[in-house]
Amino acid sequence: MKNNARHLMLSALAMLSLAGCGKPPEPSASTPTPASSPGSSPAAAAATPAPQAEEKKLNIFCWSEYIPQDVIDAFSKETGIQVSVENYASNEEMLAKLLAGGGSYDLIQPSEYAIEGLIAENLLVPIDHALIPNLKNIAPEFLNMSFDPGNKYTVPYMAGTVGIVVNTELVKDEITGFNDVFQDKYKKNIVVLDDAREIVTWAMLSQGIPVNDVTDENLEKVKPTVAKWVQLVKVYDSDSPKTALLNGDVALGVVWGGEGALLLNADKKFKWVMPKEGTHLFIDSLAIPKIAKHPTNAQQFMNFILRPDISVKMSDAFPYLNPNAAARPLLTKEQQENPASFPSAEQISKMQTFKDIGGQATKVDELVTSLKAE
Amino acid sequence: MAGISAAAADLGASAYKRRPSWVAWLVFAPLAAWLILFVIVPTLTLVALSFGEQRGLGTVEFTFTLENYQRAFNWTWLKVFWTSIWYALLTTGICMVIGYPVAYYIGRSPENMRNMLLTLVMIPFWTSFLIRTYAWITILSKEGLINSFLVAARIVPEPITILYTPFAAVLGLVYNYLPFMILPIYTSVERLDNAMIEAAYDLGARPVRAFSQIIIPLTSPGIVAGALLVFVPSIAMFAITNLMGGGDPPTIGEVIYKQFTSGRAQPFGAALGTLLLLIFIFTLWIGRRRSEE
Repeated sequence: MKNNARHLMLSALAMLSLAGCGKPPEPSASTPTPASSPGSSPAAAAATPAPQAEEKKLNIFCWSEYIPQDVIDAFSKETGIQVSVENYASNEEMLAKLLAGGGSYDLIQPSEYAIEGLIAENLLVPIDHALIPNLKNIAPEFLNMSFDPGNKYTVPYMAGTVGIVVNTELVKDEITGFNDVFQDKYKKNIVVLDDAREIVTWAMLSQGIPVNDVTDENLEKVKPTVAKWVQLVKVYDSDSPKTALLNGDVALGVVWGGEGALLLNADKKFKWVMPKEGTHLFIDSLAIPKIAKHPTNAQQFMNFILRPDISVKMSDAFPYLNPNAAARPLLTKEQQENPASFPSAEQISKMQTFKDIGGQATKVDELVTSLKAE
Repeated sequence: MAGISAAAADLGASAYKRRPSWVAWLVFAPLAAWLILFVIVPTLTLVALSFGEQRGLGTVEFTFTLENYQRAFNWTWLKVFWTSIWYALLTTGICMVIGYPVAYYIGRSPENMRNMLLTLVMIPFWTSFLIRTYAWITILSKEGLINSFLVAARIVPEPITILYTPFAAVLGLVYNYLPFMILPIYTSVERLDNAMIEAAYDLGARPVRAFSQIIIPLTSPGIVAGALLVFVPSIAMFAITNLMGGGDPPTIGEVIYKQFTSGRAQPFGAALGTLLLLIFIFTLWIGRRRSEE
C-alpha cells in the first residue's frame, strides 16, 4: 500500500508540472495560408512541400477493414513503393492522433465532417489534379461536395448510407421507415449501430428535422423518441451488426449499407429498406495531412485506387456504395443490383451528409448514454 | 594499527555491502523503466487530462477545471459505474464458487496429475479471447448449438433468448476470468499443511468445521488474490459485455472509450478513468487488509 501512496503523490506532483507547460501555442489554427486561398493553383501548392525525388515509402492511416490487402499489394508491386498501414476505428481517433503530432502519415481516410474540420484548421495539403487524372472516373454526384468544394484536398474513396434490414421470415408486416421498425411488437428484436449520433439522427429524421440541425432545442425534442427506441433495441453493434441478424437473434436492423449488402448476398430472406423518413450519405475520402513526408506517393496511391480495375477489388471486399462510375460496369450484375450497396440516383439526391457538430457531439453522447442506462 | 585495520575492515564491509545494491539496481532498472514508461507516465497523463477542456477537433487545453468531475457525479454515470461493479461482483462470486473446488481438487491430486490439470486450465489462453468470445456467440445464439439441441430434443418449442442478455455478459466474464481465480487458490492449496487438517480431525472437528476454520483461513491469501485478479479487470472489460451482452446496459469501460472517440470529451473520459482508478486502489487496499488479517 505504501507504494500506492507514493504513486499517488508522484502523480500529483507530475500533474502539477505537466500543467505548468500546458496551453501550447497553436499557430496552425486559424491562420490561413496562401495555399488554402481559392486563387492559388493547387499544383504549385502541392509542389512546395514535395521534393521531386521521394523515397519509395508511403504511410497510410486508414479505417480498419476498408482498404483490401490485395489493393495495397498490387500498388507496391506496380510502383515499388513500400506501404505501411496503420488503422483507426473512428474519425475522432484519427483526429486525436493527428493533432497530437505523433506519427508520420502520408495519407488519411477521413469522413465528410472530419474533412470539414481538417480543412478549417488548415491541416491538409491541397492535391494536384494533374497527378490524379483518374478523378474523372468518379460520378459527378460524389464530386464537389460541400465539405470540399472543387475537391481541392480530397478524392472520394467509398460512400455509403444507413438503412433498414428486415428478416422477412420473422417480420411479415411491411416496413417502410424508422417508425415501423421501432414499434412495441419488435421489442428486443432489433439491432442498431452503436453510435449516438446515428441514433439521434434517425430520431430527428422521423420528426422531419434536418440531420445537421443538432441544436439543444432539437435534442430536447427528440429525447422522448430516443427514450422509447432504446428500450426496444436488443443489440448495439457498429462493427458487425450483421452477426445478430444472421444468427436469427434479431429480426430487424438499422445498419450500414455495406453490412446490408453482405446480408442480402448471404440469404434471400433479408430485405433492404431505404427509410422513407430519409437517411444520410457518408463519403469517406483520401486526404494528405500537412505532416506528410511523401505527398507525391500519396497522390500516386489516390490515382491508383481510382482506377476501375482496382476499384472493383474494393467493391468485392467491401460492398459499399462505390462512387467510381467507370468501375460500376465492371461489377457483376448481382453487385450492381444490390439495393443496399447502390441506392437509386433519386434516393441519393435526397440524402444529406453529416456536418461537423463540434461540442454538440458530447451532448448527443450523453443523451443516448443516459437513456440507455435507465 | 588496529584502528586502521578496523577502519579498512569497515570500509571493506561497507564496500561489500554497497556492491550487491548496485547489482540490485541494475536488475531493478528494466523493471523501473517499464513501470515509469507504461504505468506512471500514462497514469499521470490521464489524471492531468481530467482537469482539461476539449477544444475544436480534439486538442485538449489544460484549464484546471473541476467541471469534468462535477459532471461525473451525475446519476447517469453513477448508474453506469454501478452496472460495471455489479457485473464484476457477480463474476467474482461465481468464479469463487466454481473455482475453489476446482483449485482444491487440482491441489490435492497426485503430483503427476497436477501439471496436466493445470495445463487444461491454461489451454484457453492459447487462443485470443476475442475468438473465444465469438465462439460463445455461435454457441448461444438463437440458431446456435444450445438452441438447436433444445429444440431438436423438444425441451423447448422454439429457440430461447440467451445471447445479448446480462446473463450472457456475466457468463462471458466468468468464462474469461475463471483461470485467474483457480491459479492463485491452487497455489495456496498446494502449500496447505496436511498435518493441520489431520490435527483438526484428531481434535474432533467434522469436515465442515475443518473446512471453514482450518482450510479456508489457510488458503485465504489465494482467495483474496484470485478475487482481486478477477474483480479488477472485469469492471473495465467491455469487449465481452458488448459482444455477448449486446452493449445494453452500457458499462463503464465502453462509456470511457466513447468519451475519447465519438463523444469528443477526452477530459471527461479521463475523469471517469481516474475515478475508476480510485476504485481499483480502494479495492486493492481492502484486499491487502483482508490478507493481513
